[in-house]
Amino acid sequence: MNPLIPIMVILPITCALLLNLIHTKERSVKILAIIVGIALPVIPLLANYGIHYFGGYSPLIDNPQMAQGLPDMITQSALNLFHPAITYSFTSAQKIFVFILGLIAFLAIFTSLSEIKKASGVYAFLMFMGTAAVTAILLSDDIFNLYVFFEIAALSQVGIILASRTEKSYETALKYLFLGSIAAPMLLLGIGFLLGLTGNVNITDIIYSINTGLVDPQNPVLLLACGLIFFGWLYGSGLPPFHSIKSAVYSKALPHGAALLQAFSVFTFVGLGIIILRIFSFLPFTQVAIIVVSLLAMVLGITMALMQSDFKRMIGYLAVGELGYIGIGLGLGTALGITAGLFQAVNEAIITAFIFIGFGTILYKTGITDTNKLGGLMVENPKVALLVMLSGFAMAGVPPFNAFQSKLQLVQASITAGLPELGIIMVLLSIVTFMTFMKAFYTIYLRPKPSELEIKNKEIPWATIISLVVLLLICLILGLFPHIVTGQLEQLAQGLI
Amino acid sequence: MRLYDIVVNRIREIQELSTDKEPVTNLSTSATLAAEITLISTVLIAAIMLRKINNILMIMVVLGLFIALIVAMPIMPRLRKEQSDSFNSMVFYVLLALTIIITLFYWGVRNV
Repeated sequence: MNPLIPIMVILPITCALLLNLIHTKERSVKILAIIVGIALPVIPLLANYGIHYFGGYSPLIDNPQMAQGLPDMITQSALNLFHPAITYSFTSAQKIFVFILGLIAFLAIFTSLSEIKKASGVYAFLMFMGTAAVTAILLSDDIFNLYVFFEIAALSQVGIILASRTEKSYETALKYLFLGSIAAPMLLLGIGFLLGLTGNVNITDIIYSINTGLVDPQNPVLLLACGLIFFGWLYGSGLPPFHSIKSAVYSKALPHGAALLQAFSVFTFVGLGIIILRIFSFLPFTQVAIIVVSLLAMVLGITMALMQSDFKRMIGYLAVGELGYIGIGLGLGTALGITAGLFQAVNEAIITAFIFIGFGTILYKTGITDTNKLGGLMVENPKVALLVMLSGFAMAGVPPFNAFQSKLQLVQASITAGLPELGIIMVLLSIVTFMTFMKAFYTIYLRPKPSELEIKNKEIPWATIISLVVLLLICLILGLFPHIVTGQLEQLAQGLI
Repeated sequence: MRLYDIVVNRIREIQELSTDKEPVTNLSTSATLAAEITLISTVLIAAIMLRKINNILMIMVVLGLFIALIVAMPIMPRLRKEQSDSFNSMVFYVLLALTIIITLFYWGVRNV
């Protein structure tokens, strides 16, 4: 038992509740948020790998004392192996995911506290609650527990948009909530079917039941459960048909909020995607479906980004499009493909946060997101402009940044898997991503400043600059030394094939 | 030049129907054209993957798609209109996707 595993979830929840209680005391909110924010990426680095059973109820096979005196029909059957407790599993892959999520959460909270005039305990509450929920999604081996946190994450996202108080944010939040009221019950229904068929909510036990023939793998109810869980996954991660609302969600949040929201989407995508692959890998159609939806996300996301004149919406669509790369990796189903896909997930979470916070400086200085009304900002702050430009290079996969490594691995994986067409599409769409970014960069920074544009006479907070530099350094480090991450992810990928 | 004019006119038509009052600029038209080419080329390349099922089917689908896409040009302004923030269209596509997924997961698993 490793107490640090549940603390990764319990600490941000406790902090969120405390922040809500003291939301009027600005100084206390700032101090508590910063301290717990620093702890978020540190705890996964300190925690040992292992499994945590809530309540201490390990499987009977690991607990001979409890098994003593029980009848043979229990100890000599599959019940001996089943997990009675809610189980959290912490491996090398989870370490990377939870660390990156914690780091982005810290930088987003750090930036928000410096950019918002009056620190809001409610806003920080939502950020911590969402982070805790997505961490639980990554750690949980219990599919019902995962669903509970899936809902908490969705509600936190709605709350973050509402608390952002931007134009039409209430409308977008309500739309997201209503669409969630279609998708989330479908996910729950799928989980219910799985429970009905296997009598279990523990994912390892469900896989055991399917693999050992306790449940017929071709049972129509199981196929229906797969479809419903797949549909819930599309909602949680913002893949088509939820790409429009997801990009709207990003664009209506404040930039630091959007940086965190996209990380929630990426890690929900990874968490649920891995579970779908683990449970339903015996159905080849699952991989086909993942590839088709990912292709759709890439094409629709990136082409729609090109058509936008609002830079927040443009990044929102690009973020949705980049999710497709992760899905292609998972859908290829090879060890190289899954490793590259998961590496791309880590990179995308970092780079999109980098871009959102970088472009947030434009909103901070001008209060405008429409690129038609912007221009000439290079003169205002060339150093920040350089950082923003590098973030775009990173997203497009320009060497030596991290996305270059993951996209290269994805192209190699698609060729090795006998689908070079996917590699060609990924290269083509990376070029279009670069073009989309350069279009926005040119209109905002390089063309002459419109005469009616008013630039606020206030300095960009140092916390924002620090966040940008930290994210840039991570992009460079992972680009130059990709094995730091890929080495940790390979084990999970091998287990999934 | 003719294609460029068609794209400009189609963007104008769609913007007149919507509440969006953005000007039709050189930049937005070029972006639409680039998106158009990207969409068509990506769909055609993706269709080549049907060779995994049957080569003749792949050739027929690619040729069919090529003709259909060229005839339907410009597609992007219409696609943008379909992917608007209208709640009605979002719910429509969500329910359509749910239906397709559930149908395919039953049919697809037994036939792919």
